[in-house]
Order: sequence, then C-alpha cells, then structure tokens
Amino acid sequence: MAEIEKKTHPGFYAILVTLIIMAIGPIMLMLINSFKLDVDIISGTSGLIFMPTIQNYETALCDILPYELDHLDFCALKFGGAFVNSLIIALVSTALTLIIGCMAAYALVRFKFFGRDTASATTLMVRMVPPAVLLVPVFGLWNNEFCLDKTGLVGGWIRDTFGGRGDVCLAGTHSGIILIYIAMNLPFVIWILQSFIVQVPRQLEEAARMDGAGPFQIFFKIVLPLIKPGLAAAAIFTFRIAWNEYLLASALSDRDTKTVPILIVNNMSEYNVEWGVIMATGMLLAIPPILFTLFASRQIITGMTAGAVKG
Amino acid sequence: MSTAKLNRLSPYLFLAPAFLVMVLALLYPLGYMIYGSFRDWNPSQALGESTFVGLKNYYTLWHDPNFRESVVVTLKFAISVVTIEMFIGVGLALLLDRNLRGMSLLRTLFILPMMIAPVVVGLIWKYMYHPTLGVFNDTLRALGMEPVEWLSQHALLSIIIADIWQWTPFIFILALAALQSLPRSALEAARIDGATGWQQIIHIKLPLMMPVLIVTCLLRLIDAFKVLEVILVMTAGGPGLTTEIMALRISRTATEFRELGVAAAMSNYLLMMLLLLTVLMLTYNRWIEYRANKAQRAAEEAL
Amino acid sequence: MFDFSKTFTGIAAASILLAGQAVAGPYDEYAGTTLVVNFPAHPHYDAVMKILPEFTADTGIEVEVDQLPYLKMRERQTLELAQDEGDYDLIAYVVFSKADYVYADQLENLARYYMNPKLADPSYDPDDLIDGYVYNIGFAGGNKGYLAGKTGSLFGIPYGSETSILGYRKDIFEKHGLSVPETYDEMLDIACKIPELEPGMGGLSSRAASGHHASHAFLLHLAPLGGRVFDDAWNPIVNNEAGVNAANALKKIVDCGPEGAASFGFGEALGSFLAGDTAMFLDTTVVAGQIDDPAKSKVVGKVGWAMHPMGTRRGSQTGGFGIGIPKNAENKDAAFLLMQWLTSKKGDKLVALAGGNPSRFSTHEDEEVNAKFPHMKVFGEALQHADPDWRPIIPVWGKVNADLGTTLSKVLTEGLDVQEALDGVAERTRAVMEEAGYYTWSE
Repeated sequence: MAEIEKKTHPGFYAILVTLIIMAIGPIMLMLINSFKLDVDIISGTSGLIFMPTIQNYETALCDILPYELDHLDFCALKFGGAFVNSLIIALVSTALTLIIGCMAAYALVRFKFFGRDTASATTLMVRMVPPAVLLVPVFGLWNNEFCLDKTGLVGGWIRDTFGGRGDVCLAGTHSGIILIYIAMNLPFVIWILQSFIVQVPRQLEEAARMDGAGPFQIFFKIVLPLIKPGLAAAAIFTFRIAWNEYLLASALSDRDTKTVPILIVNNMSEYNVEWGVIMATGMLLAIPPILFTLFASRQIITGMTAGAVKG
Repeated sequence: MSTAKLNRLSPYLFLAPAFLVMVLALLYPLGYMIYGSFRDWNPSQALGESTFVGLKNYYTLWHDPNFRESVVVTLKFAISVVTIEMFIGVGLALLLDRNLRGMSLLRTLFILPMMIAPVVVGLIWKYMYHPTLGVFNDTLRALGMEPVEWLSQHALLSIIIADIWQWTPFIFILALAALQSLPRSALEAARIDGATGWQQIIHIKLPLMMPVLIVTCLLRLIDAFKVLEVILVMTAGGPGLTTEIMALRISRTATEFRELGVAAAMSNYLLMMLLLLTVLMLTYNRWIEYRANKAQRAAEEAL
Repeated sequence: MFDFSKTFTGIAAASILLAGQAVAGPYDEYAGTTLVVNFPAHPHYDAVMKILPEFTADTGIEVEVDQLPYLKMRERQTLELAQDEGDYDLIAYVVFSKADYVYADQLENLARYYMNPKLADPSYDPDDLIDGYVYNIGFAGGNKGYLAGKTGSLFGIPYGSETSILGYRKDIFEKHGLSVPETYDEMLDIACKIPELEPGMGGLSSRAASGHHASHAFLLHLAPLGGRVFDDAWNPIVNNEAGVNAANALKKIVDCGPEGAASFGFGEALGSFLAGDTAMFLDTTVVAGQIDDPAKSKVVGKVGWAMHPMGTRRGSQTGGFGIGIPKNAENKDAAFLLMQWLTSKKGDKLVALAGGNPSRFSTHEDEEVNAKFPHMKVFGEALQHADPDWRPIIPVWGKVNADLGTTLSKVLTEGLDVQEALDGVAERTRAVMEEAGYYTWSE
C-alpha cells in the first residue's frame, strides 16, 4: 500500500536475474558436470555440447544397483550404504531432537522455569561452540569413556547379538553420532518452539484439563497440532545440520557407519580425481536440502529470521 | 494418587531428557576438553593414562608461530567475510525492498547455497577455481586475459569469495525482514518531511534496523569462526598456512599431529575468543538498542 | 592347484573333513572366515580389489575391505590399533607409519608365522622380494632403527611399493628434438624450455601443495642431489648446500610448471600430465596404469619412461605401502595366509597384470607382464637405484614432515628465501629431536 507511486525500473529486474544466476549457477554447473564423462570434463569444453551420461551416477550407486556395471571392475564407492547411514542418522536425530525439544520447550513455557532470555542466552552460547572444539573431547569420550564392558550384562548382550569386537563404545555407532547432533541442535529447537508455544491459548489447555486430560494428553493432543509450523522450521534446520555435518561424523564413524559427506571427502582421493563421480555424489547429497528449499522456503525463512528479527 | 504425583512431576519429566542430553553431550565434553588441555595426551591413550603438564600446552601455543599465523588467518577471514557480506547483503536489501515480481523466487533460490552441505560447496568451488578446468579461468582466457592462480596465489581471497557466495543471502534475508518490520509511521513521517531516499536510509532505516543488524552480524561472525569443511575441501589449509583457520588447525593437530592435549588447549583459546566477541557485541547491541529507542521516540515526536 | 570353483572347493573341503585332519589343505581350517582388512584408496590397491575374488575362490576365506584415503587410513589405524581388540585383521600401512606402529608394539613380528609349518608356504621364495622395499617398508630395528641391519626383524611385507621414475611426452620431445634428460641440470633446463617451445604447456608436473606434498617433492630431489635430512648423529642438515639445491630445483620446477602448480597435490599433478598440460612427470611408478587408460588420460601411447635423473648420485625414492598384521587382530593366522597369498609369486603376478605394483624381481622380468606393460622393464632397472634412506622413518617424522612441507610451500608461494626457510626448519627440527631424546648419547 505504501509504494504505489513508485514505478519499477527495469534495472531492478536485471539485478534480480543476475542474483538468481549467481545463486544457482554453481549448482547448475555441478548438475551439468555430473552428467559428463571425465574425458569431457578435462577436455576443458565447459560448453553444453556433450553426450549426457548417467554413468557417474551408476558408479556412485554401484553397491545398490541391481545390475552389474561394465565400466567398473569392482565397486569401490559404497555410496548406497553411506546414504542409508546418512538417512538413519539425520532422520532419527531430527525426530529425537524435536520430541525432546518440544517437551522441554513446553515445560519451560507452561511451568515457567526460566524465561525466554535464558533460553536465548543458552542458544547463543551453544551456537558459539564450533564443532571443531567438540572434536577432541567427543572423540576421547565416545571412544574411551562412554563404553560398556563387553563382559557386562548389556555390553555382553550387544556383542552376542550384533557381533563386533572389544568393548561396546558409542564411537562407531549411529547412536554416537545421533547423540552429538541432538545436543548441538537442541537449544535452537527449544528456543524456536518456545516462541510458538507461547502463542497457544491457555484456555484451550484449561478446557482440556477440565475434561480430565493429563499433562501428557494435553501436550500431545492440544499443543502439538497447533505448533506445526514451528516444528517444520525446527525440523528442517536440525535435519540440515545432521545431514551435512562432516567433521564430527568423520571422527566418530567407522566403516559401517560412514555418512555421505565423509564418503565425498574420502573420495576426493589424491590418486584419482574423478570429477564426474565427485559431482554426482555431491549432487545426490544436495538433493534433499534442495527439495526442502524449494518446497518449504517459507518455513526456512521463518526459522532464520526468528533468530534475529524477533528475538 | 499416582496420577496426581505424575502430574506434579511432569514438568521435570518433560525437561529431564533435554537436560540429560545437554549435560552428557555438551557440558561434560566441554569440561573434559578443559581438563584435557592441561595434559600431554595422544589419541591412543585414554585421558586417564596421560600425564599432567600444567599450562605447558597453552604456553607452547602462545609462542608457536604457526598457531599465531592461524589466529591471524582466522581473524582476517572472519572480519573480511563479515564486513563484505554485511555491506552487500544490507545494500541489496535496501535496494530491493520494493514490490518486485520474482522476489519470492529470489528469496527461495538465495537460500540454496546455505542449505547444501559445506562439503559440496567446497567441491563446487574447488572445481570452479581449477587452474585449467575451472569456469573462472575459462572465462578469463575467453576474454583474452591472463588466467589467475586462484587456490595457490590467492587462496585466502578465493575462500573469502566462496564464503561470500554462500552466506551473503543470509544477511540479505535478515536485513530484508528487518526492513519490512520497520514502523511505517516513522518512514511516512520522514517522507512527508521531504527526506530523500538517501536521507531516509541513513537517518531512519539504518538506525532503526541497527539492533537486528548487530545480531545478524554477531551470528555471521560466530559462524565465520566455525567454517571448516569448505576450506578443508578447497585448500586443506594451504598453500603454506595461508588458509589454515583455527578450526582446521585444531582438527589437524588432533588427527594428523596426534596431539590431543594441544588441540584441546587450542579449542579453549578459540572458545575464549568467541566468548569475548559475543559479550562485546551483545553489550554494544544493548547500547544501540537504547539509542534506537530514543531515535524512534524522537521520530514519533517530530510527527 | 587351488584354481577350482568355489563350490567345488566347498565339496572338497567337506570330503576332506570326512577323511580326517591329516590330509587337510592349509586353507581348510579357515574356510568361511571373514577377514576385515584396511587398505588405502590407491591404484595398487584398486588392482588388489580386482584379484581378491580369486583369493576367496582359492581358499574359501572371505575378505571385507575398508578402503580409505591414506592419511585418513592412518588416523583410523591409530585409533584401531590402540584398542584391546581391533576390527582389522590385516592392514596396509604407509611406509612412514612403520616407525609409529612398531615402536608402539602394535604389529606382529612375522617370524613366528614363517616358522609355523602349517602356515608358511615352502614355495614362497622370500629372496625374490625386492631388497630395497623389504628393508625400507617391512624391516625395523636395524641400522638407525629403520634401515637394514643385523639387529632388525620383519614386521611387514612391501605391497604396493613404489619408486620414482621420469615420464615424458615422446611426441613433444621428438617434435623439438629434445633428448631425454639424464641429469638434473638437463632436466631443469628442459623443464623451463618447454613453456617457451609449447606455449600453454608446463615443463614438469610436480606436487607442491602445502604439507606432505611439498615435503615429498623436495625429498625426491634431495637424495639424488646428494643431501639428507639428518647426518649420522641425527643433526639436521637439511639446510646444507644440497638441501638448498633441492629446494631451488623444486622452486624452478614449480615456476616452469603448469598453471596453478604451487597448489598441486599428487592428484592435480598427475591430472595435469594426463590432460596433456605438462611435458614431464617425475614421481611414483604407481601412475603407469592410469596413463594408459583412455577413460582418464589424453596421452595414451605418447608417454615414454626413463630413470630418475642423476644429480651427484642416483637415488630414487622408495615408498608406498606394506601389509602387516595388527597385534590386536582377531584372525591372525588367516590374515597371514592372505598376506602370503597376495605377495606370493602367483599373487604378485596377478596384481601386476591387474595394474598394480609388483614387489618381486621375478614379476618385473615376467614375459607376460612385460608384454602387457612394456614400461615394467625400466621400472625394474630403476629399482636398483632405489634409496631406502631418502627419508628418515622415525616416530617424530610426522612432525618434521609437516613443518618442512608448510615451510617449503611458503618458499613456493610467498617468496620466502630458501636458505632462511631451511635454516628455520633445521632449527625447529633440532628442537623436536632434542625433545624426543635423539641427542641423549651425544652429550
């Protein structure tokens, strides 16, 4: 309503288009190169004239394709397995973070433990801790302290059931990586959900309590459905970190629990720079975040701006 | 009776898991790190088997030219990245704060670089910077100019450019949100007074946005100290130590040089630096907020 | 004799079991075992991956491979070997890890396996293994602690070992009437002439990236130019005249090299040669397979091979990997059988035919191998000058190496003075050595 008299100069659209190209250009470049053979890539013709091939994707996914590949002697990249690991870790840690975060946020708001300021401060403090700082202690603790003796009751049972050797430690398991991701994301999730829970009208809960609902029922039946947008934003941010993180995962995973970022970094081996396959794996890793962005950009922006603008 | 008891306990039950996770996976590790920073500790030992060396790790680092260089690199990187991104991001927000068709598309696509994995961002840019295959040198050659040795002669500049690409949108989106939530009355008043576009920006918009901008700047600054994967993939800290930021040096010290105690001490230095920075910025923010309130009141009185 | 199909071996094993233990084959007891092995992502081990199915068919022992980039592999092993019970039954280790692992008592001494008649294959012929490689990679406790000598013993077998060799573009050399360089002066001269003769082409492609790469490239020149990192009393002498010459040679090579040479790791250096952007390549023998692979290389058939040029002496590098059995392994005997099979005459030839680097003299002379890879003969000659002492393999080497590598990178990119840089390295190295106790006896 304010800017009626302003006529938009075509220059603005030029800026807009330039910005869009700059934002997605590099990603498009990766997409295009992932369909090129290495020979086409190194021949330096960055043009669009080439025979597109899905060979790079086949190479990347060789461990889960139902058919044998002619161009490979053996399947070196276990991308499929890593993808499954990434999915398990990202999904489970997102789900757990949301559940734990929701409960905590609800308790903080309704039972007035401490105010939003404290939550903001904690969020900021945790955000301040770089993953690199956690590397050393987490590596030490997960490998040496957070262990179950293999002769003990639970440890023995795990070794009998799942095999493996030595004491049962958090390092090298999905749970170990999930735990640290939950901890890294929890304050942010609690903080964002708090702002949504505050807006849930008290009367609704009172009415339910009159009908004899306990706090758990109230929480799950009344509150949860009302804060869905907040949950969506929180979920995307948590998933993003768990899906993309490299450093801690690489310190904590073993050969069976490698995630995709680790695989990509490992595959940029110095002996064999296969750009095509690297681009294909990069593209596969980027697909879920790209989908989120395209379908839930509103929630992402909410989550991002909630941090600074309203806080 | 048991239900009543459960009800009374429920707040604690609701909080317990979060509390437990935070203590177990964040507070305890941080304490463990501080404890470990006083010890001579290598990865094949449990912390208990290592020997206590007092402040030796901190002392060695303080006098280690390589560590000092990486502190300088970190500061150079963080400060230039945040400054440039703030200018571009806020500038674009001020420029594009109007009803343009395609704005929502821009906002959506602008988020992409932040959402995809840093590892992937690193490899895309590593490819684009490639001396013979990359698009930058291809373009330069096509224009008849000398190709540039991006990741060798201008490594720091190259990683700064990549970071600007990835994170300017963050500042743009936050600044835009801040602009759009400004009180209309103040802007209206200024326009009636006949303030030009520039005067509006300098005297009204920027001061009112300032609290948000400070927080944005702080968040970016904190994140800039955490960047690791992009640089790891692009240059792995080289050439020399020109792009070896502290986060990278910590991870190298821990894994490559196998000195966990030193790495812990380094982590502690980094953490203290960040803490100092945060406190400074928050204090500054309080002051700015106070001034902005005053400015707003003044603007309203002028009406 | 074991070339039967897997099913048949299974049936045979079953019938032998019925017949009683006395006639059991060496592998029967272990058939069905799954070995977990840790190998690097490296062309030789890619070739190994191709021949492993044959091992399983021969023996009934399954192998699960965890392949990692070699620095990553080393990190992983640091952690695994320190556990009470480790995951890996057999590991490939980088040559400079030998010192760490043996010193920490984490590798099995192989004596008790070669003494065990049930395990040791009488036709193994250990004398056929290349001496330089064995002493450099598998042997520990001899002279200086890491060389051959009377006090040493064997902890690993060289596998995927390599020496340095000069690859050159036959077509380019012919076109300009250049002769293949024999000495360092000739090589440096040609390296800097190429960019003038062939605009856009670099002279020699070398690794130079900060850290291990730069250090490796420097050491590659240090030995033939007559230098060493330490003298016999462990004094750092890297900053003497030979050291300065080697650093200057490296700098000249990088300056006359392809675009971006100062940031090249091994992959980029090789990539530039494969893409036809460079006329020469001086590094490991490992690359031969890729240069002839049309999917990766634009210079198939255009590359000739020659010995590492001479400075004041011949001295090509020795490096690569060895395989050993961790002390904390679960299936040590079966791991030994795998190790023996891989490095046997049969295994060595198989891996050579698959594109790997043989560890035996006989394989280098094998007709079939030479027919497939004509360069194998030059490689065999180069081996005779392989210098096991081109780089010290001591536990503190990692630290010295990192410092050397970053400092040299500064020389290459920031114009730091060579003498000043090497003096700095020598000084810091002395401090490292002092702390590690190398001067205990000289005081």
